[in-house]
Amino acid sequence: MSKVIVSVVGHDRPGIIAAVSRALFLNGCNIEDISQSILQTEFAGVFIASLPKSLKIFELNSRLLEALDSMGLSVSLREMETSGIWGAPPSEPFVITTMGPDRPGLVAGITELLARFGVNISNLKAVFRGGDNPHENTMIYEVDIPVAVDQNCFREALYKRGGELGLDVSLQHREIFEAIHRV
Amino acid sequence: MLTHHEVLSTLEMLRNEHLDVRTVTLGISLLDCASDEPARFIDRAISKIGAVGHNLVKVCDEVAIRYGIPIVNKRIAVSPIAVAACSCGPARMVEVARALDRAANEVGIDFIGGFSALVEKGFTKGDLALIEAIPEALAATEHVCSSINVASTRAGINMDAVYLMGKTISRAAELTRDRDGIGCAKLCVFANIPQDIPFMAGAFLGVGEPDSVINVGVSGPGVVKKALERAREVNPGLDLGQISEIIKHTAFKVTKVGELIGRRVADGLGVPFGVADLSLAPTPNVGDSVGEIFQSLGLASIGVPGSTAALALLNDAVKKGGAFASSYVGGLSGAFIPVSEDLNIAEAARCGLLSLEKLEALTSVCSVGLDMVALAGDTSAETLAAIIADEMAIGVINKKTTAARLIPVPGKKAGDKARFGGLLGEATIIPVRGTGSSAGFISLGGRIPAPIHSLNN
Repeated sequence: MSKVIVSVVGHDRPGIIAAVSRALFLNGCNIEDISQSILQTEFAGVFIASLPKSLKIFELNSRLLEALDSMGLSVSLREMETSGIWGAPPSEPFVITTMGPDRPGLVAGITELLARFGVNISNLKAVFRGGDNPHENTMIYEVDIPVAVDQNCFREALYKRGGELGLDVSLQHREIFEAIHRV
Repeated sequence: MLTHHEVLSTLEMLRNEHLDVRTVTLGISLLDCASDEPARFIDRAISKIGAVGHNLVKVCDEVAIRYGIPIVNKRIAVSPIAVAACSCGPARMVEVARALDRAANEVGIDFIGGFSALVEKGFTKGDLALIEAIPEALAATEHVCSSINVASTRAGINMDAVYLMGKTISRAAELTRDRDGIGCAKLCVFANIPQDIPFMAGAFLGVGEPDSVINVGVSGPGVVKKALERAREVNPGLDLGQISEIIKHTAFKVTKVGELIGRRVADGLGVPFGVADLSLAPTPNVGDSVGEIFQSLGLASIGVPGSTAALALLNDAVKKGGAFASSYVGGLSGAFIPVSEDLNIAEAARCGLLSLEKLEALTSVCSVGLDMVALAGDTSAETLAAIIADEMAIGVINKKTTAARLIPVPGKKAGDKARFGGLLGEATIIPVRGTGSSAGFISLGGRIPAPIHSLNN
C-alpha cells in the first residue's frame, strides 16, 4: 500500500485539521502521522496517510484542493518513497541554544556548520523579534551529533561561528533539560 | 521535544542564578593500605589515591562541558586517618598529612578530607596521635581537611574530646596566626557525622562505605532566591505554604542536576555513585547567598526575629524537594550558614544583627552548625570547648548532625575583620558573651550520657 505526504499551509483558524482529516477519511485514507505548527498567524501541517489501492495521488490532490480551497489553504501532495532514505548514524542528542541580536544569515550560518559536521536537526524553534530581549531573539536546535564526530572540534567550531555571528551560543547534552524539568 | 521554557529557564539558572554542582567528591578507602610501618602506609596510600583519583578532574571537566553545568570543586575524601594509620604517632601523622597534601596536588584537587577521627565514646592511640598532630598538619599543608566526631545520639558527648578540641583549635590558630588562623577553617568538630559528606571540611569516607565512591554536593541558593523573587513578583500574595512549594520545586531541579552529573562522573571513573547531598551551599558572591533568601522571605536580615522559622521552612522544603528528586540522598543535606563564606551572613554578623547565640539557635533547624565563625584570638580553649559542647548538645538531643568550625583569630578582637581568601571568604569577628566563664564545667570531663529515646519533648 502506498503512502502519501500531505502538506497544508494557511492562516490558522479552528477547523483546519478537521477539514483535512475528514477529506482523507472520506477518500479511504488512513492517517499514520500528523505534526502541526503555528508560526505567528500561520498554520502548517504535515500528514502521512496510506492510500487505498483504488485511489491515485492526483485524484486525492484534486479532492483535497476542492475541500480546502474555500478555507484559503494551500495543499501539496507527494508520494512517500521507500528508497533513498537517509540512514541516521549512531548519535547523541544535544541542544544548541543561541541568543543575540537579529540579522540576516543567522540560521544559514549555524546550519551550514551543522550540515558540514553531519549533525542532524531533529527539532528547531527560532524566534526573531528584534530588540534587546534575548528571549525574543533565540534559536533552539535539538540535534543529533553522530558519535563519530569529534565533539570538542564541533563545539569549538560552533562557538567560533556563534562569535562571528554575534550570538551567545551554548551546546548541552539534552539529558540535562529532561533531568531538570521532567519527573 | 523540549519546550522553549524548559531550555531558556535552564540557561537562565546557569547564567544568572549560579546553578552549579558545588562539589564532586571521590571517596577512596585507605583501609587496605594499613601497615605497622608508617612509611609503607604512606606509599600505599599515595599510590592508591593516584591510581583511583588521577582522572577525577579530567572526567569532571568533560562532564561539566558536556552538560554545560559547572562543577565548582573536585575533591577527595579518604578513610579516617586515625583508623587507617592507627599505628602512627603524632609526628608520623603529620607526615601522613603532608603526603595527602602532595597527593592532592598531584591529582589537581583543592581539598582532601579525612584527616579525621571518630571519638564520641573514647580514644584509641591512633585517635590521640591524630588529634595531637592536627595543628601542625593543618599549618604545614594547604589542601588537607580534618574532622573529629566527638558526640553522637547513641554515645552521648565525649567531653574530654570536646576539651581537647578546644585546645587543638587554639593551637591550630596559633600556628597559622600569620593567615588569620586559617588552619581552623580546615577543621570541623562534629556530632553525628555522616559517613558520606561530600563537603569540606567534614568530608571523609566512612568505614561502612565502598572502596571508592562518588558523592555529590549540590548548590543553588541563588536559584532558590530568584525563584522566590520571580514568584512573588507575579503573585505578591503568596503565603508561606505556597512559598515552601516553590522552594521544593527548585530543590527538585537542583538535585536532579547534581545526581545526573554525579552519576555521569561515576560512570566515567568506573566507580559507584553514592549520594547527593542536598545542601544549599553559598559562596562569597552576590546572588549566591543563603542569607539573601531570608530577605526574599521578607526579613530585613538573617538573625532578626523570625529567622529561625524562616530557616526551618527553607531547610525542610529543600529536603522534601531533593528527596523526591533522588533516592540516594545523604551527607549533610540542608541549608548551610557559614558566616565568612556568605557575603550576606557575614554582613549580618558585622552589623550585629546576627549574634553567636542566634547562630546557635539557627543550627537547631538547619544542617551543619556554627560554621566559619571568627572569634577573638584570646578566646580561651575552655570557652571554645564550651561553645562546641553547646553545639554538640543540639545535635545529640535532636538526633541530627551539628558541627563547629570556629576560628579564634590570633591578635584580633571582636569587630576586627578576618580574611581567609577564596571560597572561605572573610568575616567580622563576633563577640562571645560571658567569654572565659565556662572553665569549671569544661574541666569536669567525662562523657555526657546518651539521651533517652522516648519522652520526646
